[in-house]
Amino acid sequence: MKLGRARRERAVRQGRRKGDMYRRRVSPFLAVFLSAVPMLFSPSPAAHDPARVAGQAVTDALGRAFPRPARPPERIVSMAPNITEILFALGLGGRVAGVTRFCDYPPEARRLPRIGGLVDPNVEVVRSLDPDLVIAFRGNPLRLVERVRRLGLPVFVLDIGRGLDELAALVTKIGQVTAAEARAEALAAALAARLAAVDAALRGVASRPKVFVLLYGQGLWTCGGESYVNDLVARAGGANVAAALPKKWALYKRERIIRDDPDVIFILARSAADFAAGRDRLARMPGISAVTAVRTGRIYEIDEDAASRFGPRLVDVLDRMAALLHPDRFGGRP
Amino acid sequence: MSRRGGRRLFWAACLLLCLAGFLLSLLVGPVRTTPADLVAFVKSPDRVHAAIFLDLRLARAVLAFLVGAALALAGAILQGYFRNPMADPFVVGVSSGAALGAVAAAALGFEAAAFGFSGPGLLAFLSGLGIVSLVYALSLRRGGFKVETLLLTGIAAGALASALTSFLLFMRSDSYDQAVFWLLGSFQLAEWGQAATIAPWVALCLAASVWLARDMDLLALGDETAQALGSPVRRVRKAFLAMSALLAALAVAVSGIIGFVGLVVPHWVRLLIGPAHRPLFAASALAGGTFLLYCDLAARTILPAELPIGVITAAVGAPFFLYLLHKKR
Repeated sequence: MKLGRARRERAVRQGRRKGDMYRRRVSPFLAVFLSAVPMLFSPSPAAHDPARVAGQAVTDALGRAFPRPARPPERIVSMAPNITEILFALGLGGRVAGVTRFCDYPPEARRLPRIGGLVDPNVEVVRSLDPDLVIAFRGNPLRLVERVRRLGLPVFVLDIGRGLDELAALVTKIGQVTAAEARAEALAAALAARLAAVDAALRGVASRPKVFVLLYGQGLWTCGGESYVNDLVARAGGANVAAALPKKWALYKRERIIRDDPDVIFILARSAADFAAGRDRLARMPGISAVTAVRTGRIYEIDEDAASRFGPRLVDVLDRMAALLHPDRFGGRP
Repeated sequence: MSRRGGRRLFWAACLLLCLAGFLLSLLVGPVRTTPADLVAFVKSPDRVHAAIFLDLRLARAVLAFLVGAALALAGAILQGYFRNPMADPFVVGVSSGAALGAVAAAALGFEAAAFGFSGPGLLAFLSGLGIVSLVYALSLRRGGFKVETLLLTGIAAGALASALTSFLLFMRSDSYDQAVFWLLGSFQLAEWGQAATIAPWVALCLAASVWLARDMDLLALGDETAQALGSPVRRVRKAFLAMSALLAALAVAVSGIIGFVGLVVPHWVRLLIGPAHRPLFAASALAGGTFLLYCDLAARTILPAELPIGVITAAVGAPFFLYLLHKKR
């Protein structure tokens, strides 16, 4: 019982961090089928035309056509923290009727009714909030999302992207289903401009420091080449040592860190205490103390909450990573 | 008190508990509702309360009742079939086989729904029935059919299926959340469609088993004696085995493996109303349904997050069973 609970909690935490892992549950043939559906039924050139007429359908991450609302939804239930953040960033915070227990940013979101967690949202509570739009994501168990949909509620399912480029598309989609296209375009443009600014600042950098990303917790969890955190590191002018792993998140071997000899270590931690504990544990590991990053003290804290949610704050994380990796390009800031 | 009076009391108590259970199931849930809300809803229905009271709570209560009835009836049938009080749907391998199907479907990401079942549910149903057929075919060979061979083959096949399930779980730890749902049971996803799918089969099996109950009484005297008394033993045995397998596979397909109900409820009923199979089958179904109704109520109210119902059935069922057993002696 105790063990079961611990594993469940681990599953919840992993769902929050590595919710994208749940994508693998979709069988290959189903995935092919789903990705083929929009190709078959929508004239694809128009699908990317921003000047589409209102009322036309938006396609969700399951390949389902979702009709654009005639009027802005008033009671939105968000089933993931990054969706909550984007809704608030679009100025729709006042229309959010329910969030998960992990939705703690912005702070106002904490006062909203809770629908449960990511892997255990409560269908009855969702229904009782009488939402006119439910935004789910692929980390929620599909069977629960479908249960909500079959109660007659409009459910729009989103996925997280592999890179920061897809952030703007996510914001645009949320803008489309909430009838907030103008604000979504503005936010997407602002995010794109900030990405471009980092690119410009880093143009022609002489070196790309080797980076090891550590997820604070049990074992040496790091991000593989398919994670958007890998994209974050690359955009910040670093080279993720685990980039060759064809996974989103993976357990790394201590020997490989020693062999890779990273110049910089980023620890994704939720508090300064966690960061310190993670740094000390790394430094005490036999062999790791000789790694360049440990010897030169280039071990930095990255806010796990911001970095683990595919939302606007990823760009803040990017700014911080870039400044840490290339202080000379960012006015010598830490 | 006379036996007849005892039976009447038992039936009255069961029905009363059952009705109270349904009423409680309607009123209790994560969203606070009062009896006044229910009365107001009955007078003038609104969308939100219709979804909460009817689509979520009532559908769930009805499904829990049906599954409880199916499991207890399957247990009562198998205990008579094997003339062994240890028998339940697990011994012929149905439950373990069905769990293997469900976990395999979850691990492979097979989530599409069909015939009122989810993908894992459908695979659970098919693999549960498949394993029983296999067990039956294996025990038919070697010159004739022996109940002991069936029992042992079933236990071995069940163990093999459990081993494969554990292997799949080990390989695909990210499907753990889904696996818990199937291995310990839950009515979290209950829908009217599921209840409608299994209700006719549960009713049919109940009617058929009550109709064949006299033959089951004769089987208690031994196969030869039953044959001599004019019971078509082989056909009766086949019918009962098929019914119990169908009931157990249906139950697992909609709710995952829920242990203990099939083992213990028929015992309670036998202790209270005696061993004659006709009343035993009917009463086991009613008592099993009622029992599971209350277990589900507990599973969704004890903690803020839902407990798997298998935890409750054993935790509540075992002590009560021990109490009855010792009181009677």
